[in-house]
Amino acid sequence: MTARPSFGGADLARIAVFAALIAVLGTLPAIGGGVPITAQTLGVMLAGTVLGPWRGAAAILVLELLVLAGLPLLAGGRGGAGVFVSPSVGYLIGWIAGVIVIGLIVRADRRRPTILRTSVGVVLGGIVTIYAFGIPFQAGITGLTLGQTALSSLVFLPGDLIKAAITVALTLALWRAYPRAFGQSSRRPSATVGSVNTSAADAPATTEPRG
Amino acid sequence: MISLYRPGNSPLHRLPAGRKLLLIGALILAISIYPHTLWTLGASAAIVVAAFLIAGQGLRGLWRQTRVVLPLIVFTAVFQLIFLPWMSATITTVRILLVILLAALISLTTQTSAMLDAIERALTPLSRIGVRADRIALLLALTITVIPVIISFARDIITAHRARGVRPGPRTFVVPLLVQTMRFADELGEALNARGVRS
Amino acid sequence: MAGTIDFDRVGVRFGEFDALRDVSVTLTQARIGVIGLNGSGKSTFARMLNALVLPGEGEVRVHGLDPSADAAKVRQIAGFVFANPDAQIIMPTVAEDVAFSLRGRGVPKPEIADRVARELEVFGLSALADAPAHELSGGQKQLLALCAVLITRPELVIADEPTALLDARNRRLIIDHLFSERVPQLVLITHDLDLASRCDVVLRFENGRLLEHGDPADIVARYAEAYA
Repeated sequence: MTARPSFGGADLARIAVFAALIAVLGTLPAIGGGVPITAQTLGVMLAGTVLGPWRGAAAILVLELLVLAGLPLLAGGRGGAGVFVSPSVGYLIGWIAGVIVIGLIVRADRRRPTILRTSVGVVLGGIVTIYAFGIPFQAGITGLTLGQTALSSLVFLPGDLIKAAITVALTLALWRAYPRAFGQSSRRPSATVGSVNTSAADAPATTEPRG
Repeated sequence: MISLYRPGNSPLHRLPAGRKLLLIGALILAISIYPHTLWTLGASAAIVVAAFLIAGQGLRGLWRQTRVVLPLIVFTAVFQLIFLPWMSATITTVRILLVILLAALISLTTQTSAMLDAIERALTPLSRIGVRADRIALLLALTITVIPVIISFARDIITAHRARGVRPGPRTFVVPLLVQTMRFADELGEALNARGVRS
Repeated sequence: MAGTIDFDRVGVRFGEFDALRDVSVTLTQARIGVIGLNGSGKSTFARMLNALVLPGEGEVRVHGLDPSADAAKVRQIAGFVFANPDAQIIMPTVAEDVAFSLRGRGVPKPEIADRVARELEVFGLSALADAPAHELSGGQKQLLALCAVLITRPELVIADEPTALLDARNRRLIIDHLFSERVPQLVLITHDLDLASRCDVVLRFENGRLLEHGDPADIVARYAEAYA
C-alpha cells in the first residue's frame, strides 16, 4: 500500500459503492437474533476490513458529506447539517479515524486476515478509536466531564462489541466467498507479465490465488 | 433520492447556500458558547421558532425535527440530570436541541444539489494540499447513483430468503450483499475507466 | 472509414492464468465479430482495445495509439458498452450521465447541453432526460449507456455482449444503433451467431488463443459444429 494513494476508476467505484452500502445498511431496522442493533456501524467497520484504510476512510467521508448535503443516510433516517452540531458528532469523526486504524491493522499485509488480527483491529479501530473521538466531543458539548460521558457511553458498549464480533465473522466469511473483494486495485501497470488496470471480467482473482 | 429538503419560497430558501451556512453557522456558534441564563435561553428559543416560521416550516415542521432527535435529547437529558443540578441540565439540553434545530433548518431549505455545489466550492481552495474537489464531487454523485442499485440487491436477497423460508441473519444476508456489492464495484470501476475517468 | 487495430504477439497473464497467448492479428474491417466460449479470452481481447487490460507481452495499436502509453487518448476515441446496463451509469440523472461523457473533452458548456438534448432524442430518451437513471428499465439503461458512448463521436465502439440481458425488442434497438453508420468501427463480442454472421470478419478465441479469423460464414459454421 502506498502512503499517498491516487485513486483510479476501480477505487472510485469501490469507495462510492461502499458508501452506498453503509447507507443502505443504516435503513435496515435491525439484524441479529433479537438484539436490536443497527447494521450501520457494521458497515463502517467492514469498510476498514474490506477496503483498507484509505479507500475505507474515503467511503466514510463521502457518506458524511452526503449527510451534510441533506440526505438522511444515517441509521434511522437521520441526516442533514443538524447531525454535525449534535453531541454525537465526535463519533462521526471517529468513524473516519477508526476505519483507518482498522484498515492499517487488518490489512497490514496482503495475506488472508486472521481471526486474531481482525479482532484486534476491529476492537481498537471500531470501538476504542471511535469512542476516543466521540467521548471528548460529547463531553465538550454537554458540559459533563470525560469520566461522566464515558460512563454514559457504556450503554452502547455491549451492542458495539456484538457488532465487532459480527464484523470479524463477516470479514472472514467474505474472504472465503469472494477474496477478490479485498483486491488491491489501481496499481499502475508494472513491468511484470500481464499488468492490469482493472481486473478483467473473465479472469480469476488477480491478487490472490484462490485457496 | 429522498432528501430532507422541503420546497418553498421563503427568504431562507432564496438565500444562497454558502451565505446561509455562514449565517446560521454564526448563530449556532453564538448560542453554543454564550453562558445562558433561562432568559437568554428563552430568547434563543424564540429566535429558533421565528426562524422556522420565516422558513415556512411552521410549528409542525419544528415538531417534526424535534421528534427525530428526541431519543438523543432524552438520552442527553437523563445523564445531565444524573450528574448536574437540574437548572444547568435543562439549559444544556435545551441549548443542544436549539442548535440542532437551527442546523436542520439549513437542510430543510437548501436543495441537496445546491449543498453539493457549495461543498465542492468550499473544497476547491484545498487543491493546494492535494484535495481534488472535482474528484470528491464525482464520488458524491456516483454514490447517489448507486444507492438504488444496492437497495435493489438488498431487496432481492431478502426476497430470496423469503422464497426459501429462511430468516435473514447477519451472515446469510450481509455476506451475499457484500459479494454482490463488490462484484458490482468491479464492473462499475471498469466502466469508469472506459468512460475516461483519469487517475 | 475504419481504422487499423493491430496485435503483435500479445500475451496477458492474471497470476497463474493465461488470459491471452500469442495473439497476432491486423484488422481494418468496419464490423468485427468476436466469438468463443466463456473464459476463451474474448473479453480480455476486447478490454485491451480500450486500455482496460494492458499487454504483458507484445504490442497493441488501436488506430495508431499505444494503450500502454496513451490510455486516456485511446479512451477518447474508443467507447465501450458492457453487458450489465446498471454498472455503466455514473451520474444520478439520464441527461447528467450523457453529459458526463463530454467532460474534459474541451466542449463548451452550452454545446454540451445542446448535444445531450439531440443525442437523447436520437435514442428516444428525451422524455426521461431529468429522470433518475435507476428508474429506467434494463433496455432503456442499455440505450442510455450506448447514447453516452455515441455522444463522444467515437472512432471505435467495443461492445461486450451488449444484448445479453435484454428482451427481443430492446435487443433490436441496440443492434440497430451499433450497426448504424454512426459507429465507424465496431468490435462486437457475442454469443449470438446470427449476429456474428452479420459482421465483415469474425475472430474465434479458444483457451486464450486466437484460433482463427476470417470469413464470418465459415468460422461461425465451424464453431456451431464444434459445439452442436
